[in-house]
Amino acid sequence: MPDYREMWKSLKMDIEKHDQLCEILPRFYEDIYLSQENRPEAMNYYNFVVSEVHGLRIQELEEHRSKGGKVIGSFCVFVPDEIIDSGGAIGVGLCGGSEFWEPDGERVLPRNTCPLVKASIGAKISSTCPYFQSCDLIVGETTCDGKKKSWEILRDYIPVHVMDLPQMKREKDNISWQDEIKIFMERLETMTGNRVTTEKLSESIKLMNRKRKTLMRLYNTRKSHRLPISGKDALLISQIAFYDNTERFIEKTNELCDELEKRIEDSISVFEDDTPRILVSGTPMAIPNWKLHHIIETSGGAVVCEETCTGTRYFENLVDEGGKTLDEQIKALADRYLNINCACFTPNMGRTEDIVRLYREYNAHGVVYFTLPFCQTYATEFKKVKDVLDREGIPVIMIETGYSLQDTGQIKTRLEAFFEMLDTDKGRAASK
Amino acid sequence: MEVKLKAYLIFPSHSDGLALEKVLKNSRVKYTIVPTPRVLSKCCGISIEIEPEYISLVEGFLYDYPNINIEGIHILEKKKSNLFNF
Repeated sequence: MPDYREMWKSLKMDIEKHDQLCEILPRFYEDIYLSQENRPEAMNYYNFVVSEVHGLRIQELEEHRSKGGKVIGSFCVFVPDEIIDSGGAIGVGLCGGSEFWEPDGERVLPRNTCPLVKASIGAKISSTCPYFQSCDLIVGETTCDGKKKSWEILRDYIPVHVMDLPQMKREKDNISWQDEIKIFMERLETMTGNRVTTEKLSESIKLMNRKRKTLMRLYNTRKSHRLPISGKDALLISQIAFYDNTERFIEKTNELCDELEKRIEDSISVFEDDTPRILVSGTPMAIPNWKLHHIIETSGGAVVCEETCTGTRYFENLVDEGGKTLDEQIKALADRYLNINCACFTPNMGRTEDIVRLYREYNAHGVVYFTLPFCQTYATEFKKVKDVLDREGIPVIMIETGYSLQDTGQIKTRLEAFFEMLDTDKGRAASK
Repeated sequence: MEVKLKAYLIFPSHSDGLALEKVLKNSRVKYTIVPTPRVLSKCCGISIEIEPEYISLVEGFLYDYPNINIEGIHILEKKKSNLFNF
C-alpha cells in the first residue's frame, strides 16, 4: 500500500485522530455505495477518487505546492473558480460533511450552529483534514451568520479572505459583487505572483463552463423515465467535482455519461419503473453526507435531481465567454454567480421558480425539502416555497436533519408514508 | 446464514491498481475498485474487489503483465456493518 503517513505528518496532521476517521469512511462507503445493485461500470472512477480522497489528490496538491503553486480552499458556490484557476492556483471545496468533526467544532462554536459549519471548523482545528492542511488561503463569504463569525475564529489557524456577498440582487449589488471579485483577484495575484490576464481568464471561464456542461449532461440523463444512475451516485459525483482535478473530472464524467446514455437507449434502469421520483431541495450536502439520499433510496424513492449547492446551483447557467476585457469578463462572472438562488438573498422568488421548473423538467412526483439544523435561511424560506408548491399541486415534505444517524428510522417512516401518497404511475394504475 | 467471501487485490501504488483495472476491463472478470478494508491496511488507498473464483484468472494476468506490481490477494468475509440499521 502507498504510505501517505509521511505526507500527512509533513502537513502537521493529527495522525492518530485521522486514523479514527479513516476507520469509519470505508465502512460507511461500503454500506451506502458498494451495496447498490447494477451500478454503472464507470462509477469505478469515483470509487477510486473516494478511496484515494486523503491520498493521491493530496499528493497532487503537494506537488503543485512544491513548485511554488498555491492551493485555495472555499466553502461556497459563490467563490469564483475561474479567478482561482486563472491565477494559477488550485481550488478545493472544504465543507465538512461528517459528524466526526462536530465535537471539535463545538470547542469554539456554540452547539446550536449548523453541522456543516461546526464540522468545517472542527476539521481544521483538529488537524484531521489534509485538504485544510494543504491550503495556503481560505476564502469565506457572507452567506450566513454562522459562517461569517466562524471566519473570525478560523483566522487564528489559517489566512482567510472573506468575500462580501450582497444579499439582494439590484444593479448596485451586481456592481458591488464585481468589486469583490476584483479585490479577491488582486489578493490572489499578490499571493501567487501571477497576473490574471484576459487570455488566462478567458481560458478558465471556458474550462469551468465545460465542467458545468458535463454536470448538466450527467443531470440530463436523470430526466429519463428509466433512471440509469442512482441519486446517491449523482450526489457523489457533484461532491467530487468540488475538489478533483478539473480536466480529469470532465473526461471521466463524460465517459460515465456515454455509458448512461447507452443505458437509456437500452432501457436499463437502477430502479423499478414505478419508483417515486424525488426532487431534493435545500441545504448543501458536503462529502461524506449521503444520509438523506441513502434513506430516500432505501425507502422506496429515487432522487432525480438536487436543487442544492451540491446540485443544480453549482452548475446551472454558464459564464458568458464573449468578454474582451478583464472588466467585461468580471461583469460576466458577477452576472452568472449572482444568478444563483441561495436562501441568503431577499427576496428570493427565483429559487421557488427553480424548484417548480426542476420538478417538471425531471418528471418528479414530489419534493423533499431538506435543511440542516439551525440553518435559518433555508428553514425560514420553506414557508414561501411551500405556499407556491401547494398552489401548483406539488407534494412536499420538510426534513430537518443533521449528520447523526440517530434519527434515520424516524425519517424513513415519514418518507415511506410520503412516497405512498405520491401519484406515481403505479398509483394511477391502481385507481383506474 | 450464507457467508459471502470476496477477494481483495492490494497494490504498492494506485498506478499499479489502475494498470490492472485496464486489463480487467478487457476481460470477463467482474471487479470493483474499493477503499482498502482496514483489516488489510491502515493506509488509505485503493484495492480491487473480485469474486474469489476469478483469482486464478487474475494471477494469470499478473504473470502476463510483470510490470504490474501487487502486494497480495486476500480473501475476506464481506459483512454489512449496519450503520443504518436497515
